[in-house]
Amino acid sequence: MAQEELVTIEINGIELQVPKGEMIIESAKRIGVDIPFFCYHPRLGKGQAANCRMCLVEAGTKQPDGSVRMMPKPQTSCTLPASQGLVVFTDTVAIQKARRGILEFLLINHPLDCPICDRGGECPLQNNTLFYGPAVSRFIEEKRHLPKAFPLSDYVVLDRERCIHCARCTRFSQEISGDAQLEFLKRGADMMVSTFQDTEFTSRFSGNTIELCPVGALTSRAYRFRARPWDMKSQKSICTRCSNGCNIWLDYRPNRLVRVLGRENEAVNEEWTCDRGKFGHEYISSDRRLLSPLIRRDGKFVTASWVEAYHLIASHLRQAVAEHGAQSVGAIGGAHLSNEEAYLLQKLMRVAVGTNNIDHRLERNQVAGGDTLLARLGVPFTQNAIADIERAKTLFILGADLVDEQPIVFLRARKAWFRFGANVIIAHPEVTETELRFDEPVILRYREGTEKTLIHGLLYLVLQSGKAVTSALPSEELQSLQASLSAYTPSRVSQETGVAESVLRETADLLGEGTLVLCAGRVRNHPEYAELVGALVNLTLLTGNGARENGGLNILLPEVNSHGAADMGVLPDMLPGYVRVSDTTARQRMEKLWETALPAEPGLNTQAMLESAAEGHLQVLYVVGEDIAHKYHDPDLARRALENAGFVVVQDLFLTETAQYADVVLPAASVAEKEGTFTNTERRVQRFWKAFNAPSPEVKPDLNIFAELAVYLGKPLPVFSAEQLMEEIGQAFPAYAHCCYDQLPPEGVRWQTTSLGEEE
Amino acid sequence: MAELKVLFKDIDVPGIERLEVYEQHGGYSALRKALGMTRQQVIDEVKASGLRGRGGAGFPAWIKWNGIPKDESQPHYVQCNADEGEPGTFKDRELMLRHPHQLIEGIIIAGYAILSKVGYIYIRGEYTEPARVMRRAIDEAYRAGYLGKNILGSGVDFDLYIHMGAGSYECGEESAMMSSIMGERGQPRLKFPHAPLPTIAGLWNCPTLINNVETLSCVPAIIRNGGAWYASMGTEKSTGTKIFSVSGHVNKPGNYEVEMGTPLMELLELAGGVKGKLKAVIPGGSSVPILPAEKCDVNLDYESLQSAGTMLGSGGFMVLNDTVCIVKFMRRTAAFYAHESCGKCTPCREGTRWMVKIFDRILAGGGRMEDIDLLLDICDQIDGRSYCGLGDAAAWPIRASIQHYRHEYEYYIKHGRSMVEVEGKAVA
Repeated sequence: MAQEELVTIEINGIELQVPKGEMIIESAKRIGVDIPFFCYHPRLGKGQAANCRMCLVEAGTKQPDGSVRMMPKPQTSCTLPASQGLVVFTDTVAIQKARRGILEFLLINHPLDCPICDRGGECPLQNNTLFYGPAVSRFIEEKRHLPKAFPLSDYVVLDRERCIHCARCTRFSQEISGDAQLEFLKRGADMMVSTFQDTEFTSRFSGNTIELCPVGALTSRAYRFRARPWDMKSQKSICTRCSNGCNIWLDYRPNRLVRVLGRENEAVNEEWTCDRGKFGHEYISSDRRLLSPLIRRDGKFVTASWVEAYHLIASHLRQAVAEHGAQSVGAIGGAHLSNEEAYLLQKLMRVAVGTNNIDHRLERNQVAGGDTLLARLGVPFTQNAIADIERAKTLFILGADLVDEQPIVFLRARKAWFRFGANVIIAHPEVTETELRFDEPVILRYREGTEKTLIHGLLYLVLQSGKAVTSALPSEELQSLQASLSAYTPSRVSQETGVAESVLRETADLLGEGTLVLCAGRVRNHPEYAELVGALVNLTLLTGNGARENGGLNILLPEVNSHGAADMGVLPDMLPGYVRVSDTTARQRMEKLWETALPAEPGLNTQAMLESAAEGHLQVLYVVGEDIAHKYHDPDLARRALENAGFVVVQDLFLTETAQYADVVLPAASVAEKEGTFTNTERRVQRFWKAFNAPSPEVKPDLNIFAELAVYLGKPLPVFSAEQLMEEIGQAFPAYAHCCYDQLPPEGVRWQTTSLGEEE
Repeated sequence: MAELKVLFKDIDVPGIERLEVYEQHGGYSALRKALGMTRQQVIDEVKASGLRGRGGAGFPAWIKWNGIPKDESQPHYVQCNADEGEPGTFKDRELMLRHPHQLIEGIIIAGYAILSKVGYIYIRGEYTEPARVMRRAIDEAYRAGYLGKNILGSGVDFDLYIHMGAGSYECGEESAMMSSIMGERGQPRLKFPHAPLPTIAGLWNCPTLINNVETLSCVPAIIRNGGAWYASMGTEKSTGTKIFSVSGHVNKPGNYEVEMGTPLMELLELAGGVKGKLKAVIPGGSSVPILPAEKCDVNLDYESLQSAGTMLGSGGFMVLNDTVCIVKFMRRTAAFYAHESCGKCTPCREGTRWMVKIFDRILAGGGRMEDIDLLLDICDQIDGRSYCGLGDAAAWPIRASIQHYRHEYEYYIKHGRSMVEVEGKAVA
């Protein structure tokens, strides 16, 4: 990147150097000068800022003779770019008067209902008034009256009297989320925020506007009147609702979650949350949480002690192993567990039970032996970091409705287009919400199921164009590829996929260095997954994106710790660190670490376990944190399996549909009640901390449950804390060696794939 | 002293709004001449004329023209401001309604000079009839080959579009007009030094020349007769002629084109003289400071009016006689600005409405003596702090009215009724 040009400016007599063009409001922060503001927000485009007029400063420019020529009017520092010789005063008598005036104006129509306002105590208007405002108002007329609790949606309520028209929410919806649902109606003092004809505010990112609102105008229906800011404590956490790994704050009153706020992490979510993340953690403090272990007696669940439960499980496990071998036991789960817990779960199964029957995957694709991506690109799922998306030249979104499936990745993708002008190609059989958020992207409306043909058709065109990086493939591989592609002429591909030839050519023209492919569920669950991914890898390599930062192939994952569970070896054929159980050297290394012999045969994947259980072969089925009866891609099979398995243990927060089939139900702690790490879809390992105690002393973190169960199985797995376990993980999988808690930086760390090569 | 007609030279010719009549009177000869000149020669001619923006600010036109990049790496646009919203101003209305081809010719010449292929005329929503006339005239110009591809075989292309406003005063502000043309809410945009000048990044971030109807209408005569000819009229710094829309208490209200620097009192005579006793004049549209009768011995040009404490503005020349109650008059002015405030920035949105509420209370008999200073202070807090000029425009007239007519305010507050009515005279 080019060196930023620095200019010398002066703020309140202090000389400093700042990048040319930096807004003065930011430059002032560098020297600790406070400039109050309402509408300014560094992530919202400056084009529409400067409307609150709170950040006024006096400015001038140094003349060659050393004198300063002041501008006649005060200037808004949030839009005033730094230039050589700029002189700024932020606290003159005139500016003090201007600030008092602005605050007096803002307060004439703002209701003074702070004592019952959600924002009270953390309100910029309160704070700025305290520091910069007039003590009294000269306004004796009647205030403006508007609806006080106008519901915009199930999540957001608008108090139109409190609104100070800063336009942060409208700018967010236009620039960041892109749904443009919020806009001002009317003008002057009658101006009000509204949706089009009062339709519901259905944005998937509506919750952010509540946090952006500098007053209590936009409030959360879930949080409204539930707490005052000074009554709450906050804990750093990671959102569990998808694989993006957004950083969040859990705000809680004693043992009860009250709200979720976005937490800044430039590498992941910047500061945004999606509504699922912001409003989807109510479950933590639900009254329906399991509060103690349950054992089925005469067809009914009865409360039991942990000792009873462990004895019962251990005896069934021992009996199953003794009578039917370790292969008659299986465990499903891990995508919702922390890395430490996932690691301990597979260790429990492999060491204490002696089986490789363990899997975390509930989707159709359960390909054995890792997949093409790992073998050919050297990454398990994703090549690029989330932050890299904004540097891509062309985004190719294949079969994914990112808004719904990968909301925070979507925000980056939109930023790449909106802010940095990336080209956008969207391939999907249906109209998705995602494509509506871009202006005129290239749309490939292919027929359902023709993804492979489509990619082959694009490969054909890329090779034909002569711009393909043919050296990226070994020559014999390239030759056979060229031979196999000869049939995929644009006319044939167009006929099969339904995508016009011209669109195919337009797409192929856009593909090249800096093309970043984003795929999600539709590709993950594709019936011809391996072939499709193979074609995508070819496309990635031939467009020169095999090892680029701003281009590459990314198959985004479904659950919060799908990546971590795979890293930790919650796979029937892989030990921690993607080493095959059949690889003798690697297995021996792990045997040495774990001081025990390990089964060399790959175990059953989820599908095989469930099929085996449905046929009555599986003696013990241990389901951890997954409602398979509801969420497995073939729920009927899951239900039959649960019915016919010999003995079912379910470990969860709730009495789920799956738990209804269980013989023993173990109550687990939620993310707010334990600590650990998650690995998000870009393989960033991030820590979360315990906020408060579990709803009952009988509710235990999964980590403790696995460790204690191992004791009852007579194979103790000494573990005292998640932190200590992470050190062991670092030994088992060297890529995690940098993830020990004392080394983990606040923004988390993407583990390096180079260590994968060393393992092989 | 009589009128000096440049823009209005042919305005009384029957049918001048039709192309063939306009052509008979030399119409489009300036365009032919300009197409034979280099672009820079055209700009230099405008520079020599000393033509200044007639929309209100009086900025030298040629600087804008010359500020447009000389290369065609981006499209360039001409944006003709025909949103004439300033109360008291109706000159552009007449120029469009009665002399549309003069404007179109001016726009095409401007387009040629700045390498633009597309122009927009932003006509205020209420001007349906002028817009219809412009539409007809543009169609005629297209048919005659003055607009469209390859104008008069010169290889120059120019398309001209009408964009109708929807009734917002604010959209007459050039950056809000850009927002409106681009399909956004009619709110102002950042200005230099916070953003590049419109001549560098205007419509769709491309170089854009923004001129008023009257300014562009001057161009054909300047090209035809030369910049020096134009500069020979008026004063040294305020060249040429200016149309004043005279309204209010005069016997013959209407548009009068006079040489720059004409004494104010002469314009009053042209307009048939004052009805009754002159109380004050607002020379440049409702937003400029009021000029009391005793200060009316002043010439009508940018500099003289400025030194008299007011502005030439848009030439909306409102004449008030002594039947006018200043407090009520200013209440009406304040209400206009409160109604037209776009709501974007705090001082204008809140301050204008507050002032109306104070005026209403005073008029209802609930005024307090401190309200006068409160009004002045609110004016101070709006002036110079608002996002665009609308806030300033809302503050200036009220501040000036208090400076000159404080006693009327005091009387109203003290007695709960107007000083003017007490004197037993008719009320306007």
